[in-house]
Amino acid sequence: MTPYIMFMTKSFTSQLAYRSDVWLRLLGNYFAILIQVEIWRSVIGKGESFGVTIDQMITYSIINTLLVALLLHGVSGKVDGSLKSGSIAVELIKPLSYPLYLLSDALGQTLYKFVFTVIPSLLIAWLLFGMLPPASTVSLIGFVAALLIAMLISFLLGYLVSLLAFWFMSHFALSWTLGGLITIFSGSFLPIWFYAPGWEFAARMLPFQYLGYVPAAIYLGNMSQVMLWQTLLIGLAWIIALLTIVQWLWSRAVRRLIVQGG
Amino acid sequence: MDIIAANHLTKSYRQYRRFPGLIGSVRSLFTRQFTEETAVNDISFTIGEGEAVGYLGPNGAGKSTMIKMMTGILVPTAGDIRVLGAVPHEARKTNARQIGVVFGQRSQLWWDLPVTDSFDLHKTIYQIPETKFKQNLQMCMELLSIHEFVEKPVRQLSLGQRMRVEIAMALLHEPRILFLDEPTIGLDVMAKDQIRHFLRMVNRERKVTILLTTHDMKDIEEICPRMIVVNKGTLVYDGSVEELRARLGNERRVVIDFREDPGPLDMPGITLLQEEGLRKTYLVSRSESTVFELVSRIAARYPVEDASIESADIESVIRRLYRQLADEESIGRQIG
Repeated sequence: MTPYIMFMTKSFTSQLAYRSDVWLRLLGNYFAILIQVEIWRSVIGKGESFGVTIDQMITYSIINTLLVALLLHGVSGKVDGSLKSGSIAVELIKPLSYPLYLLSDALGQTLYKFVFTVIPSLLIAWLLFGMLPPASTVSLIGFVAALLIAMLISFLLGYLVSLLAFWFMSHFALSWTLGGLITIFSGSFLPIWFYAPGWEFAARMLPFQYLGYVPAAIYLGNMSQVMLWQTLLIGLAWIIALLTIVQWLWSRAVRRLIVQGG
Repeated sequence: MDIIAANHLTKSYRQYRRFPGLIGSVRSLFTRQFTEETAVNDISFTIGEGEAVGYLGPNGAGKSTMIKMMTGILVPTAGDIRVLGAVPHEARKTNARQIGVVFGQRSQLWWDLPVTDSFDLHKTIYQIPETKFKQNLQMCMELLSIHEFVEKPVRQLSLGQRMRVEIAMALLHEPRILFLDEPTIGLDVMAKDQIRHFLRMVNRERKVTILLTTHDMKDIEEICPRMIVVNKGTLVYDGSVEELRARLGNERRVVIDFREDPGPLDMPGITLLQEEGLRKTYLVSRSESTVFELVSRIAARYPVEDASIESADIESVIRRLYRQLADEESIGRQIG
């Protein structure tokens, strides 16, 4: 077993200790979906809006609520904790790549959430609100690919914030800002097609749309085939760009590292 | 071949000024005043493979910073350092496989897991082959008597037990260098003894290079033939323990039991330190004459029952060194 797979399993199993959490999360997701469904029912009614039916909008809301739950990881919180307690020293003396170590921990959490939150929530939502199947096989394949891209971009953004925290010694304000940007530009609450042209352009130029709008739009078949592959390629380009930035930042950040508490 | 080489190594931190109180904390938001703190200042030394070196100095002398630079956690501000022929922070991952690190004040064990699980995790992280792992584990468990608590979760261990486990774990991947940052801090005499014997064996028989920081001079005496002393970031002594003793410990104490009170002794080069009835302790500066000569001269003139000569222990030698440094500094301040 490689150490990274071990860290992933460890992070997965350590989540099992909080079993009552599972029920609360299911309840939380149920309410989040319910509220959005009610809003869209009153906005769209039985007809169509911007060429989108109410059923599509409900599916969009379900996918996005579950994406938010899935992509939530504590990477910047984890790095912040190690920086403040000084336990980063212990992590750095091991023959491990620090980002891969963090990624495997995040993936363990994601896997746990997928099994214990997303799948049950999906079943509940499908039974109670109805959910459309993927538009086509291509949509389904594209959706899975978009999901993987979303997970990597979300991790890299969190890691980016935690590296910036080396300069500020606290990640809170940065994480808060990142959260705000994701809420606005991912289109997870309000689909990008409702945006005014200026805002829509901004959202399409930024990586945040991959965390909400892109996977849902691909699932619903709102993109032409050409556009789908193009979008996925740009997503990969974003991953490469973020990786480069993160690598460079790390090389600068270690110089600023101060180990607290001797 | 030098396994560690530091060349004019310097590490300084920027410390932003904070102002006290509520108004002060608001003020801190708008000012960027800082002071440059130099934790390690222009230090050079080399350590050969198989050596055991004690790295000591008063609190805040920059010992931990030095260890963190050698292990690749911190990046030096100036100068260069090579460990196993590589720059530690650049070759952090490859060097990590060949070094073991123990922080006395920071645990590397998994708090909630039994000791055995921590060992197994270590095995996976360092990719240690099964046979090698079993062999090393067996040896460490036996010599550090870990068997008794190997099934207990780490959080239930006493400090002495935990420290033994930390040291065992740092050796499972057969490192060529073992760094220990205050490994005996807060331990009882028995635990200290066991750890010292073990580290001595690891160095002498397994030929592992050891570098340890400590405040306990007995650690140095039992494990390290060589010591490096630092103060306020600068190197003040690098050499053998004996040499330092010869340089600073040029005073000896003589305890003499008299048959009857001789009154004040008429003898040059001695000062009375302590008097308990007929037992008197004198300080003899060695430069005057040999201590033995002096005692026999006293015995010839006064009614001496018994006499014993005590050499300065390493602890008092170090105390003298620190005091001397503080004096030099205050003189420097008065002049400058």
